[in-house]
Order: sequence, then structure tokens, then C-alpha cells
Amino acid sequence: MSGVTLSNVIKKYGDVQVIHGIDLQIEEGEFCVFVGPSGCGKSTLMRMVAGLEETTDGQINIGTRNVTKLDPSQRGVAMVFQTYALYPHMSVAENMGFGLKMNGFPKNEITAKVNEAARILKLEPLLDRKPKALSGGQRQRVAIGRTIVRGPEVFLFDEPLSNLDAELRVDMRVEIASLHKQIGATMIYVTHDQVEAMTLADKIVVLRNGRIEQVGAPLDLYRDPDNRFVAGFIGSPAMNFLPGQIVKGTLSVPALSDVPELTMRLPADGTRIELGIRPEHLRIDPEGRGFRLELIEKLGGVSFAYLRSGMGERLIIAEDGESDLTDDMDVGVRFDPARAFLFDAETGHRLR
Amino acid sequence: MTRYQGTRLALTQRQAAAILLLPFLTVYAVFLVYPFFKGVWISLHDWNLMAVAFNPDAKSYVGLSNYERVMWGSNITWGAWASPGYQFFGLLGLGTSVLLYRTGRAGKVTALAIGIASLLLFVLPGFHPGEDGRWYDRRFWPTVGNTILFVGLAVPGVTITAMLLAAALDGETRAKAVLRTLFFLSQVLSVTVVTLIWQIMFSPRQGLIANVTELVGGSPIVWLTAEGFAMASIVIATIWWSLGIAMILFLAGIQDISKDLYEAGALDNATGAKAFWYITLPNLKRTITLVVVLQIILHFQVFGQSHLMTNGGPNDTTQVLVRYIYQTAFRDSELGRASAMAVFLFVIMGGFSILQFVLGREKDQ
Repeated sequence: MSGVTLSNVIKKYGDVQVIHGIDLQIEEGEFCVFVGPSGCGKSTLMRMVAGLEETTDGQINIGTRNVTKLDPSQRGVAMVFQTYALYPHMSVAENMGFGLKMNGFPKNEITAKVNEAARILKLEPLLDRKPKALSGGQRQRVAIGRTIVRGPEVFLFDEPLSNLDAELRVDMRVEIASLHKQIGATMIYVTHDQVEAMTLADKIVVLRNGRIEQVGAPLDLYRDPDNRFVAGFIGSPAMNFLPGQIVKGTLSVPALSDVPELTMRLPADGTRIELGIRPEHLRIDPEGRGFRLELIEKLGGVSFAYLRSGMGERLIIAEDGESDLTDDMDVGVRFDPARAFLFDAETGHRLR
Repeated sequence: MTRYQGTRLALTQRQAAAILLLPFLTVYAVFLVYPFFKGVWISLHDWNLMAVAFNPDAKSYVGLSNYERVMWGSNITWGAWASPGYQFFGLLGLGTSVLLYRTGRAGKVTALAIGIASLLLFVLPGFHPGEDGRWYDRRFWPTVGNTILFVGLAVPGVTITAMLLAAALDGETRAKAVLRTLFFLSQVLSVTVVTLIWQIMFSPRQGLIANVTELVGGSPIVWLTAEGFAMASIVIATIWWSLGIAMILFLAGIQDISKDLYEAGALDNATGAKAFWYITLPNLKRTITLVVVLQIILHFQVFGQSHLMTNGGPNDTTQVLVRYIYQTAFRDSELGRASAMAVFLFVIMGGFSILQFVLGREKDQ
């Protein structure tokens, strides 16, 4: 088992640069999730680690080995594909043992390793089936089993759950998490789903347009985002943003009639800002005014209230599930100023 | 409420289908079904082409004696080792089919098909004239043998070459696109052009191949008139001619294989030839079956190559079934006997068509 180090990694397709000098340290045994909107380069970056995409410039190390120029099979990585990429003509056991067979392992050793992986993943009754005869979740497990059998230094997962239905996705998420606990290997996991990122990761790498926006533990990103993008991307439902401006040393937010005293140092007069507050940190004030409650979704444990200000801005508020609020009420909002974030409207940088 | 829809023809789906199918069915019936049954009918008569042309009554019903005249002889006996070459392969095939079925590597139908073909290959060549016996038609079975040999060489030749070409030319570069077109181009030529090209190629004087052999110090082979080479040369010309369609089918099959599988293969250390063997080939199984059966049906009807390049010679070694039928019918005017041979050819090709139909429907095990 080894960590992975990316140093100034660059990827260009012709003149188009898609990965812009990424530096990243993934520790040994760490579960690292690359997350970001589609087209952010997260899959490309993982495929560069796998060796399926050439690295235009920079260096990739697995452990202490420089693998930048090595073939995929020599890097000590194994990968679970979004489409599973199981060999359709081979049985489950053959699929799982294929990598070892290609690397000249003796038959009995292959069988032993396949059986061991099948035991971990509860695939034993399916070993003789063809992939066609398996359900989506079972195929997923076979794909994972194939990587376990290889005993790689680094496991790579490329959006592995996106082809599964919602219920199965949750199950598999838990299975992958417990698998990581069980074998403790370094894992890199690509997803566009921030819930998967939050629940699985030791370390989240938020990517946008081929650049790292922020790296950190899930709760660190949640509590302490570096910029508006990360703040908006991490957390569900997404953070609310209200535009405002600094006027005479104080914060003016047109949507809010009175803005509580914020803890951070305010920038110069005239700076346009955005005030960010998570839905779960806002409260509805039935006595207050300024917002109209357009819709309330009652999910039982929690209710989401959709508010619109007189200026047309929308807010989502996570309220108590037992709330007796109803649609079309006129309400106000309250929040703890310590939980609010301030962002520069121009650059998106966090103002601390 | 009154409706005036009487002027518009309201057709049921069945009626509409019948009307749309009618033109095809008419042509099919007049030009295929009727001639086929007429052919079978002629094969039951002593029917001289010229005589019947001048006098429609100059034919007589002879039952199956045309078939007997063509396929049987006097004093025919059967021996397990009368023709060891064919019969050995028959036994080998028989064993293979049992083995394939037992190990689960082939489906029931596939195994059965191989088994029946092998059984025929073992049984049929076993018939031979005993003492004082002789075939009524000495040339028929050797001609069938030549045809089978031709098919046996041309079909694997076309299939393997086309598959390797398709694997090599699969891709998006301009050079590959140009080469694909070039390799396909030979397919659109007519058989006369193809045979002409290859007659020049094989010419021992100015031919390209002779020049190359001379260049490396060999003496030129007289391809078309040497007994050992004549069949090889028409097979080579045929492979060159009929590569195109097979290559296109294989290209379609290869492009159908998910790129993810090759990436998974790259991680599993299966690249290049290993990827071809372990990923491409197994996933082309259906395409291979299709190509092989189509080629078998096509090449059993070989005529032009043999007729134009070698005239069936030397010493009848490239005489093939369709050419023999043609000569019997139109040179010897023996229309009845020719029709009997044609029916024989039909049975062979019909068998392969059924095989194709069944294999196409067989589910992957």
C-alpha cells in the first residue's frame, strides 16, 4: 500500500489544456474523493493516475515510484469503471482472476484469491455466472471484486454508483465504506455527487475547470469553504447566497431588513459581496416580514421552505419536520451571524 | 351523425401488409420459386436441352435415375478408411463436437451442427467402387471434393485475413480510412476483372509474383497450370476479391466492443495481441459465425474464378461444382443431370442456411 503524489500535473489535448498544474498528496490508506461538476477534469485526473490518459507534464508518484511513464498494468492500480467493464464472455470467477492470469500467476493461487474476494463480497454463489445474468448491484460487486483480487497499491473508482438506482446506491456506498475499513488500502474515488463525497471521503478534492478549488476533510470543507464555489457545491440543499454591498463600513443586504453584526472584518466601502448562509442555519421568524413562503416541502424529519424576498431572491430553509408553517405566509428570517459566510462577489473568494 | 368515409379504403393491417408484399412476392414467385420447382421437376426427367427446345415432347420421366447416374455407381461399397484424409478429419470433428459440448464451450446446436457435418465427412468419402465396380459419373465426386477444398481454403482465408485487417484498420486516422476504402474496393469489381488482374499477377513471365520470386532468386512458379498451385491461385484471388464485406462486418463487430473493456484489459496487463486474443476475439464470436456461414454459402457457388483463370484444369484439379453443372447443361445439353447436381448443391447450401438461421438464434450459454 502506498500514497499517491501528484506534482504539477498537466493534461493537454492538442492546444486545449484540461488539467492545470495539479499538486496533491494522498496519504497511504486514505479514501480520497475527487468531486466537481461534469467537465471539471476529475475523471481525467484519475485516468492519468491509472495510466489510461497520458500525462502531458508533471509527475505522478505511487509510493516512492515515479509511475508517470509506466503502462497501466505496471502501476499497481486497479480500477472500477462506471460501466463496470466486465468481460461479457467470462464467468464471474474468470473476470475476477483475469488480471492475475495475464500476469502469469499459477492457477491455484488465482483460485484462492478469487475465492477470498468472493467471500468478502458475498459473491460465492455467483462465481460461475456470466455478467449478463447478474443484477446491477451484483455486477458492481464483481467489478470491485476484480480490483480486490489484484491486490493493488491504489484502488480507483470512476463514478461507480451512477448506474445504480437510488436505493442500491446507498447500500453500495455503505459497502464501499466498510470495504475501505476492512482492507485499509489507498482509494481514489471520482463522483459528481457531493453526498457520496461527504459520506465516503477522508479527504475531498473539489475540482473545477481542471483546477483544485479546495482540499480537505468533508466537515472542514463544510464548515470552512475557501470560496463561493466550494461553499455552494458542498452541502445539500446548497447554500443560499444573498447579494449585498459594503456601505459606510457596514454590510447592506437589500433582501434583509436588518443585518446582524458579523464577526469577520469587512472589506472596503463599495465592495460588492455575497452573504452565504446554509439552509440548516436559517430559521423562519413567523413574526418577521420581508419574505413570502412560496412552498413548503414536508419530508417528515425535515421540511424545506422555499422563500422569495421582495427583491426576487430565493432562499431555502431547512425547518423542523413538525413545523406548522403553511404556503403563502409572509415571514422573516433569522440566523446566527457566526454561521454566515461572506464572499467577494467579483472573485468568489471567502472574506474572513 | 352521418359520416361520408365510404370513398376512402379502410384497410386492416393484414390487408395492407398483403398489398405491400404483393410486388415482392410476385417477383419472388416468378423468378425464384417457380424456377426452383421447375429445376427439381427437370431433374426427374431425361431432358436434352437442344432436343426439348425444338420439340417439347422430347423428354421422358425417369424418376431418380439422374441422381443415380450422377452420384452412384456399380458395385459401390463402403469402407471406414477408403479415403483416410477426409475421414480422419470427420472423426476428428466428431470428437471435437462431443468434447466442446461436454466442456460446455459450445451450445447444443453448435455442437450438433459440427457433429452432423463431421459425420457426413466421415461417411460420404467412405463410399467407393468395389471390385469391377465404377462410378457412373467419374467426375462428379472429385468435383464435389474440389469445391469443398476450395471452400475449406477460401473461407478460413477470407475470415482470418478480414479479421486481422479489421483489427489493424479500426481507428480514426486518415490513413486507416483510406486503407479501409482501398481494401473494400476490390469487392466491387466483377469476377472478370478480378480474374484478369490475378491472371496477370500470376503470369510466370511478366507477373508481379514471378518478378518477386525471381528477385529473391527463385524460379517463377507456373501458378495457373501447375497441379499443386492452381487451386491455391484461385483461392488467393478469391480471398482478395471477397475480403471487403467480411472486413466491414468485422469492423462493425469490433466497434461494437466497449472501449472500457480494453481499458480494463490495459489495467489487467492485456494489451496488443493479448487484448486481441482475450477481448476482441471472444466478443466477435457472433460476427465470426455470420461471416463464416455467409462465406460458405457464397463460395460453394464459385464459378468465375475457376472458369476464367484455370478452365477447371490442370487435370480437373480446379473443376468445381457450378462449372460442372454449367458444362453438363449447356455444353453437353444434359439438362436433367445438371438439374440433379443443382439440387444436390441446393441441399448443401440449404443446410448451411439453416445452420446460420439456427446459430443466429442460439442464446449465449
